[in-house]
Amino acid sequence: MKLQKKMGAGLVACLLMIGASSANAFECKVKDASMAKPGGFPDRALTMIVPYGPAGGSGQVASAMAEAVTSLTGVSINRDHKSGGSGTVGMTAYMAAPADGYSVLEHIDDASSAHALDSSRPNPATDLIPLVISQVTFSQIYIRTNEDRFNDWDSFVAWVQAQNGKATIANVSKEGSMERVTMKFITDASDMKIQQISFDKGAPRYGALLGGQVDALFEQPGDVRKFLDSGDFKPILTIFGERPGVFSDVPTHVEKGMNFEPLLRFRGFYVHKDAPADRVKWLQWAFQRGYCEDSYQAFNEKKFMTVIDSYRDTAGAIKLINSTIPQYREVYKQMGLDVK
Amino acid sequence: MIENFLLGSSALFGDPLTLAIFVFGVLGGMLFGAIPGVSMLTLAAILLPFTASLTPTQGVMLFAVIYCTGTYGGAITAILFNIPGAPENAPTAFDGYPMTRKGLAGKAVGAAVLCSAIGGVASALVMMAATEPLAKWAIRNIGPPEIFALVFFGLAVASSVGGRTIWKGWMSVGLGLIIATIGQDPVGGIDRFNFGFSDLAAGIAFVPAILGFFAVSEIFVQAEKTAKGRYEAPPVNMEFPSFFELWQQKFAVLRSILVGFFCGILPGIGATLAAFMGYGEAVRWSKKKDSFGKGNIEGVISSETANNAATGAAMIPLLALGLPGGALTAMMVAVFQMHDLEPGPLVFYNSPDLIWVVFAAMFFANLSILFIGILETKTILYLLKIPFQFLAPLILLLATIGSYIGRGLVLDVMVMFAAGIIGFMLRRSGYSIPGIVLGIILGKIGEQNFAQGMQMVHYDLLDYLSRPVCLILIVAGTLTLASGLHKAFKTNHASST
Repeated sequence: MKLQKKMGAGLVACLLMIGASSANAFECKVKDASMAKPGGFPDRALTMIVPYGPAGGSGQVASAMAEAVTSLTGVSINRDHKSGGSGTVGMTAYMAAPADGYSVLEHIDDASSAHALDSSRPNPATDLIPLVISQVTFSQIYIRTNEDRFNDWDSFVAWVQAQNGKATIANVSKEGSMERVTMKFITDASDMKIQQISFDKGAPRYGALLGGQVDALFEQPGDVRKFLDSGDFKPILTIFGERPGVFSDVPTHVEKGMNFEPLLRFRGFYVHKDAPADRVKWLQWAFQRGYCEDSYQAFNEKKFMTVIDSYRDTAGAIKLINSTIPQYREVYKQMGLDVK
Repeated sequence: MIENFLLGSSALFGDPLTLAIFVFGVLGGMLFGAIPGVSMLTLAAILLPFTASLTPTQGVMLFAVIYCTGTYGGAITAILFNIPGAPENAPTAFDGYPMTRKGLAGKAVGAAVLCSAIGGVASALVMMAATEPLAKWAIRNIGPPEIFALVFFGLAVASSVGGRTIWKGWMSVGLGLIIATIGQDPVGGIDRFNFGFSDLAAGIAFVPAILGFFAVSEIFVQAEKTAKGRYEAPPVNMEFPSFFELWQQKFAVLRSILVGFFCGILPGIGATLAAFMGYGEAVRWSKKKDSFGKGNIEGVISSETANNAATGAAMIPLLALGLPGGALTAMMVAVFQMHDLEPGPLVFYNSPDLIWVVFAAMFFANLSILFIGILETKTILYLLKIPFQFLAPLILLLATIGSYIGRGLVLDVMVMFAAGIIGFMLRRSGYSIPGIVLGIILGKIGEQNFAQGMQMVHYDLLDYLSRPVCLILIVAGTLTLASGLHKAFKTNHASST
């Protein structure tokens, strides 16, 4: 049985690797391999404000991108982690920093949802200029592989409905978060009631599912890859418009009759809108070309970020943010939240 | 196990580079652990990119060693200057610093050195023997409801430490609990008590609060004494605790190993809760409860044994399940990932060499605490001979840097000074500084786990109490509170008649 589990896990890992590499027909969209520094900029190290800790997803993407940009341009990047308040502290610190192009910001889709809820908070598409969005991913619902109460989405929904609201799912269900909004879409569409348990750190969240403290987990595949590789977790629903190659055996929410536009998790890099235009142009080149560096691509592949297109240049990023904000706003109103 | 341990040890000592990295980790962890606010996390963050050029075994081993010695390093400044190097050393200051003021610094530091080593070695041995089954047991049986019950149990007893009366001790804890609510609620992320300041959305950070309440308030206290001509430098005594004194504490050590190990094994909890719980249990079982907070060596022993016992234990969920127990173990995940590895069950099958070198390195790192610690102590105690007027600005400077460096926020420096002033005034009135710090740290952990636990039991208290661990801990905590209340009323009655 144990051997069977290990073989199964190995097979899943192989499929994931094959799928990931087949999706990774990567072609760099920035053709210029170098760009002259405008007026000598930058003549010193850049500072990258990261609104989350160094060990989490943001910390890691910031580190990988900083390494790629430094290797490409020779310009050092000091990372300054200002964590707390769901990204608020880092964003505030960044907006107070001089808009001279020497400070850049890493942020995730939380910046868009925060603006959707409270328009006095910076809009990442207009108050900032996106340099590049370098990670875009979808979410999935996971259960334990050795779960015997249900084994796929349909049986899971039936089981949850029979529990009269006593079933539980672990996620980061902060007010207005992508996770909570998506769960509202799902529970409304599938007519089930499930208690969301919010864990702000990954380890207790994954431990809760592994140890059977909760019945399911809402997460992105890159964050739980090791549990997929080890055969401990299995996805039962993909929240994306189509089945990504590596998860071709997992149904999507659309196939299960849930017709909502999936909200994506995205991480990217920004500069203040008032930074000098020629410096912004150079930074756009450096970060977009940095995305193409082998080290960054290897990082993204390891993090499952090549399963769908993870790249958005400035225009693409603005489009993504602009489509996300009204979507959040609409659902916030439906949820009865005070949209300012 | 012994064969694997010997193989790991020979790989560690057989390769000069690996050995050099081990020595660097031991010394670096001790040094950075001793600098307030800077801590071993800063060293780890600095070293993280460089681990890419090491082998995976060297990289993970380096971080594991820093974790062991860094956890101990902060005890020295906590004892000598009332500046805990990190939150997990805060309970060490509760009794360690009063011992220094009484001229017993050598005994306190000696006890910290020895017990850190014992706690760490014991924990490393259990880690080697039973990583996988223990990790699985912990995540199956201990969830947020049980962690809240554990925090409640710990708060119930330790809340009486350091206050002039039980009421003042409890009010101090209450103040700490209120401070812990500043920021965002831990489940819904709703802003509360931040008065429109976005920097406060992240809440009051532990390090500035601890530095303010302990170090800055102490400087004010001593400055007042100096101004009134009543300042007396603490006598410097190099005398270490005798074998007999340590033997008397054998049960405290054993109990703290168990408590520290239990807390360390829980994902996301780590050494801080371990130190506070270890200290709390020392108070609970002691016949001389009133002596805690005033220089009882058992307080130092319990706190330092427990926090180092948590280090080996925290490696268990990390290595067996890929679940880090705290910030430093989370960085270890990044080290694994830099080398295309993932901590978790497969690492035992895919990289057994790495695992046993790390286990051996942690064992020897804890032993090194004993030898290097004794040498270090003999020199560092002379710092106490520096006159107060020179020492105070140095401490203030270090504390200010330590407060700022964590998040780079001026707010944290302001919090430190505010905590120092409030702490100074409250100490004069007999309130408990350990109680306030206890409330701040355990309040955050407790509230989050209470909210998650309540969601898990669907807000049904009977359902909550149907979990055996919760029932036992909540009943025991309530009885402790009731007994404290009874004692407080009895004292009030006696003083009024």
